[in-house]
Amino acid sequence: MNETAFKRLKDLPSQRLLGTGTPLCAGCGGLEALHQIYDILGGRSVFVNAAGCMTLLAVYPFTPFRGAWLYTAMAGAPAGAQGVRDALDLLLAKGRLPPAEDLTVVALTGDGVAYGMGLSATSSAIERGLDFLYIVYDNEGYGNTGQQYSEATPLGAKTATSLRGFAGRKKDLFAIWTAHRPAYAATVIGAEPLDLARKLEKALSLKGPRLLLALAPCPTGWDFDPKDTVEVGRLAVRTGVWPLKEYVDGKVTHTRLPHPRLPVEDYLRTQGRFRHLFEPVRDEALLARIQAQVDDYWAGVT
Amino acid sequence: MYRIRLHGRGGQGIKTAGRMLGSAFFLSGWEVQDATVYGAERRGAPVYAYVRADHGPIHERGVIRDPDLVAVVDESLVGIPSAGVLQGLAGRGLLFILSTTPAALWQQRLNLPDRVLTLAPPAGAPPIGTLCVGAAARLTGVIDEAALVAAIRQELAGMPAAVVERNLDWARRAYAELAPHAGRVVEGGSGTAVGYAAPDWVDLPLEPAETAAPAIHAALTSLRVPTGLWRTLRPVIDYDRCNRCWWVCSEYCPDGAITVAADGTPRIDYEHCKGCLICVAQCPPHAISAIPETEATNP
Repeated sequence: MNETAFKRLKDLPSQRLLGTGTPLCAGCGGLEALHQIYDILGGRSVFVNAAGCMTLLAVYPFTPFRGAWLYTAMAGAPAGAQGVRDALDLLLAKGRLPPAEDLTVVALTGDGVAYGMGLSATSSAIERGLDFLYIVYDNEGYGNTGQQYSEATPLGAKTATSLRGFAGRKKDLFAIWTAHRPAYAATVIGAEPLDLARKLEKALSLKGPRLLLALAPCPTGWDFDPKDTVEVGRLAVRTGVWPLKEYVDGKVTHTRLPHPRLPVEDYLRTQGRFRHLFEPVRDEALLARIQAQVDDYWAGVT
Repeated sequence: MYRIRLHGRGGQGIKTAGRMLGSAFFLSGWEVQDATVYGAERRGAPVYAYVRADHGPIHERGVIRDPDLVAVVDESLVGIPSAGVLQGLAGRGLLFILSTTPAALWQQRLNLPDRVLTLAPPAGAPPIGTLCVGAAARLTGVIDEAALVAAIRQELAGMPAAVVERNLDWARRAYAELAPHAGRVVEGGSGTAVGYAAPDWVDLPLEPAETAAPAIHAALTSLRVPTGLWRTLRPVIDYDRCNRCWWVCSEYCPDGAITVAADGTPRIDYEHCKGCLICVAQCPPHAISAIPETEATNP
């Protein structure tokens, strides 16, 4: 898309629209992506937030939002978004809400909901063609309750419920979404704000079900120093662990081709949840398997 | 029965401290119950753990509402009602706070004459649960140093040796410092199920939805939460080196706590900056450095 308003970093908004004073952890990668999104999206929105870290954003009587926010049970965010969208549409149809005052309906959930508990409701909402933006902060575990593994936990990661490293592999939520042929789907990360801004801009220009799937480096759950959130995120992209891509008009395009692609070890080493792969002895077999998963992915990218 | 609560913030080792103190009692021949109160487990959130120790089986359950000792790792929690530090301290019970503020001042502030003890964290020690474990062990007067050390070794098994030694050192120091107060904590009676009064402050009567889940009718009210209190290190901008690129520190700050003036000059909102120091790590000309919060002069 050539007509983007975000040609260079200086085109990013300089106004911070999401309020400070939230109770999320210092160095939260999810909050970083959310504020970048909110700076562009603004208060003319309704956030429907399923239970997770981010439901702590608005705890009575405090909210960082300029617009509306609603809290649902874990599997209920897409259904809640449907209700809000329907109500807005009714008000519009009856002339009680001028079209200029329409609001963007946003579902906001963590990976526990997006990859697992809420997937059925999401699938149906996409099938119904619900006009909403679904934002996922993917910190690869149930962070709000002490980082138990979720269906987004990657191979080898230590969590509270996989002390020797997770034996499964991370579900491909992007592929699940695109299999539904939604209006738009993209992966983003707070460490690449320009890429994120362009994708959000494109998503907002479309109608229908739209996904922004943000990898959310989590100092608390992944065990790294909060100051390294951006560096960890950048390494996720440069090692190819987190491919930045978008789906529009039935086609997937990679927006960053990591070149040269760094070894996954460079990413894994930054986090305590992978320390057992290196200490006390290197787990060559598992490291090779993780590298092979990433290599396989990129071998399929033309 | 001893009933002890340990308060701190997520990341200060409160859960582990509860286990250490429980194990120390157990190794001293007591029956023990210890638990963490689970809520939103994140760094900086008020968390607490509690320990019961008795001469026989413990049938009492739930959080401790009538503590014999409350030990506080993070003094900033005392003034936060939702942290519940002072819960149940009205009648009896001792309050121990890791603080450089003299105990006499705390006693006056909280109207708890003779019932507050403090310990200034030793040089180089962060506010950490292990210090409270050493202090609490001594204050009970029934745990000897060998049991304390064995308990800490047991609970930190699997941690690097340097971490274990550091924690042992802190616990021993706190244990030694509080020697003059050995045995100050007085055991409360052993409760029975028959005589147990239901704690009235955990009752949640069924309320209308608009009361139980009230709506917030104002925007940006979170600005009233001073999350700057979380900070232990403070990022400071050297404006001579800052090249006014503006977008890096401000864009990457997860909390949006760095605002930018029209000429590109960034300003850190210390009222809300949580001290993650991403700005220090990302600033291209290295114009932001971190200084200990205790050495900072207010902006």
